[in-house]
Amino acid sequence: MDNAGRSRMTVRLVFLAVALSISLSSYAQPARPATPPDIAGEWVLQSNEDPGQIGGQGQPTLGYYLGIPFNDAGRMRADTSAESLWGTPEYQCRPHSAPHQWRGLGGARILKEVDPLSSEVNAYHIKFMRSLDWPVYMDGRPRPPAWAPHTWSGFSTGEWIGNTLKITTTHLKDGYLRRAGPQTSDMYTMTDLITRHGDTITVVTVIDDPIYQDEPFLQSTTYQADLNATTNWETCNASSFAENGGTNRHWVPHFLPGQNTGLTEWLKGEKWIPEAAARGGVKTIYPEYRATFNGSVKAADLKVPSSKSAVNVSKAIADQAPRDGEVHVLPVQGNIYMLIADGNNVTVSIGAEGVLMVNTGTAAMSDKILAAVRQLVNEPPKPNQCFGVNCSGTVGWSSPFINNAISSPTPSKPLRFIINTSAAPENVGGNQKIGTTGFFPRGGGFGAAIASPGRTAQIIAHENVLFRMSAPASPTSKEPAYPTAAQPTDSYFDEFHKLPEYFNGEAVIVYHEPAANTDGDSIVFFRHSEVISAGNIFSTVSYPIIDLEKGGSLQGVIKGLNHILDLSVAEYRSQGGTWIIPGRGRLSDTADVASYRNMVTIIRDRVQDLIDKGMTLEQVKAARPTMDFDGRYGADTGSWTTTMFVEAVYKSLKEKK
Amino acid sequence: MMRRISFIATVAVLMLAAVAAYGHHSYAATYDTSKEVKLQGKLIQFVFRNPHSYVTLQAPDDKGAMQRWSVEWAGTSQLSNRGITQETLKINDAITIVGRPSRVPGEYRLLMVNLTRPADGFSWGTRAGEIVD
Repeated sequence: MDNAGRSRMTVRLVFLAVALSISLSSYAQPARPATPPDIAGEWVLQSNEDPGQIGGQGQPTLGYYLGIPFNDAGRMRADTSAESLWGTPEYQCRPHSAPHQWRGLGGARILKEVDPLSSEVNAYHIKFMRSLDWPVYMDGRPRPPAWAPHTWSGFSTGEWIGNTLKITTTHLKDGYLRRAGPQTSDMYTMTDLITRHGDTITVVTVIDDPIYQDEPFLQSTTYQADLNATTNWETCNASSFAENGGTNRHWVPHFLPGQNTGLTEWLKGEKWIPEAAARGGVKTIYPEYRATFNGSVKAADLKVPSSKSAVNVSKAIADQAPRDGEVHVLPVQGNIYMLIADGNNVTVSIGAEGVLMVNTGTAAMSDKILAAVRQLVNEPPKPNQCFGVNCSGTVGWSSPFINNAISSPTPSKPLRFIINTSAAPENVGGNQKIGTTGFFPRGGGFGAAIASPGRTAQIIAHENVLFRMSAPASPTSKEPAYPTAAQPTDSYFDEFHKLPEYFNGEAVIVYHEPAANTDGDSIVFFRHSEVISAGNIFSTVSYPIIDLEKGGSLQGVIKGLNHILDLSVAEYRSQGGTWIIPGRGRLSDTADVASYRNMVTIIRDRVQDLIDKGMTLEQVKAARPTMDFDGRYGADTGSWTTTMFVEAVYKSLKEKK
Repeated sequence: MMRRISFIATVAVLMLAAVAAYGHHSYAATYDTSKEVKLQGKLIQFVFRNPHSYVTLQAPDDKGAMQRWSVEWAGTSQLSNRGITQETLKINDAITIVGRPSRVPGEYRLLMVNLTRPADGFSWGTRAGEIVD
């Protein structure tokens, strides 16, 4: 950059700094003004701190981490992330990640939703060129539970603090903090502080992502009001093919650690920037860092007044699958509900033909699960929706809804099917108690039950689940691991099993996922509701459990995740559409499964590379190939630790399963 | 907080004003713009669309194995300005493409630098302004 350019930039940034200070001093004011400024309208981008032109083509470069308070995991994740990921089928229509939305060209349109009686603003809706609707609720509604889905726009609430609108956003998908490398997890909170000064708004954005940052990251953008502007709109033009070339539709582009050689290319034209500063880190963003330039202080010895994250990330992750002894209900789509039963997800289909459950939770939760299902099934009749002889379905002189008002509800349809996605205790624990409350007619004629197996639901699973549950509980025992009443009544051995008829108006197909977590895993696809119950193959709270002793393998897990992706279709822009219920954790969509599949695939490639270099298991562990994902999916304690996962990956790859 | 803001402003003096690109991904981060790869092969797909068109080419890699190469080209507006339409390229056209390779090892994608069709002398990328933007 020449001197003139730097002078112009200095003026801009002094203005920016003033704007920032005004924003933040406004933020400190506690009172909500009687008439908050109106931020609705068409806005055009004015300026921000993005490295737009460095590296050419007006696009960010690899390795530009200036100003980012990365921790080691964040830096590793950025170094190994490939921009080419945009070309994969699941991400071609991905909108810009939330931290980048204010920075993309195309302008911003802010609409307001006004209460017709009070004229209070109930919500703002913000739209960018490459975005989905971003509603900001101003009506004081509570935040969704932790097991609710994460979206590209997240869940936002707004409040006026002085003349600044403070927007707090949670439930965001993982994406990028800055293009060309720096990533966010899906556990960050984003705070936008919007202040209007005449025809200008400043937007100060704080991204608090303790998975990848040592302190919150701060950036700012200014916009100018323009009555003649029209926010650009880019439709999704995804291809049916991967833009990455080749023939592997499950290709996951990434760099192995140390393989990304382009990280310092941009510094060749900016030699005055120390390479260490360009790598980011909390110390590099404070004035004290200047002392390291002349060598008077070593960076390692530097103390800076860093701020702390407000996100308790361990709790936030655990809350997605709460071990609270309770059953929480989340309506999903079509016939399907997700029950979060002491942290284990149970999928329930409810309709005119009865109830189908995928998994039954632990034995201890059976009573509460049954109570929750009964509450859903016995939903009271709706109040009368029409009056008189014009009601549809009228027979005779009165409205059929009269019957609703004067009679008790009709008996609920019974539990017909249970499908077990594996033999894990959290999937089959309630089979006996819950199954015997159901009834699948197997003969006897005229609705009567036959003597054996009696009045019970049909229990479906892969035959390896039946073999495991019917085998002796221990080498010295003659008793089966589970009583007959808990065992599958109908097993299958093929690659899939479909219910022979529609149930609750749709096809239900059970797919075997060979050698995944175990040798008996299934996923269940509800074809009209567009919901997949993924069982233990997919979790949003842990690395996948790979039980090598029971026939599991890393490759089987990856194949299972890819199969889920092959069956799933996003509704729009890599969001919604087919919903995927994980074995544990929050309700997810295609993009979430893709993110998880990418993570597992990347770890596979890293460990395989270390094996190819001749490393032993201990050396692989020491190399920490999962370091950038451990904060999100790892554990030091419990039944499935990071160490156990790495061992399973290593052994699985060594055995070439 | 003010100390931090002032330092951010100081560091940001060295950054340039934001001119974010319309393309959703960064070319410089996706492709190694210091290198060129030349492919000769058969066109098997042409997707004419925004923000970027794609040419799929069946051509050998550096080991001689046939691969499906995905070549990122300009969007419809830019190509239309040069008279290029959905009909310009035909399936099975023998074409030669020079492009920037992906930075990711093992990936068969290029950023178009130039395309020629020897059969009729059609070319793109050889005249001023014919770059993917």
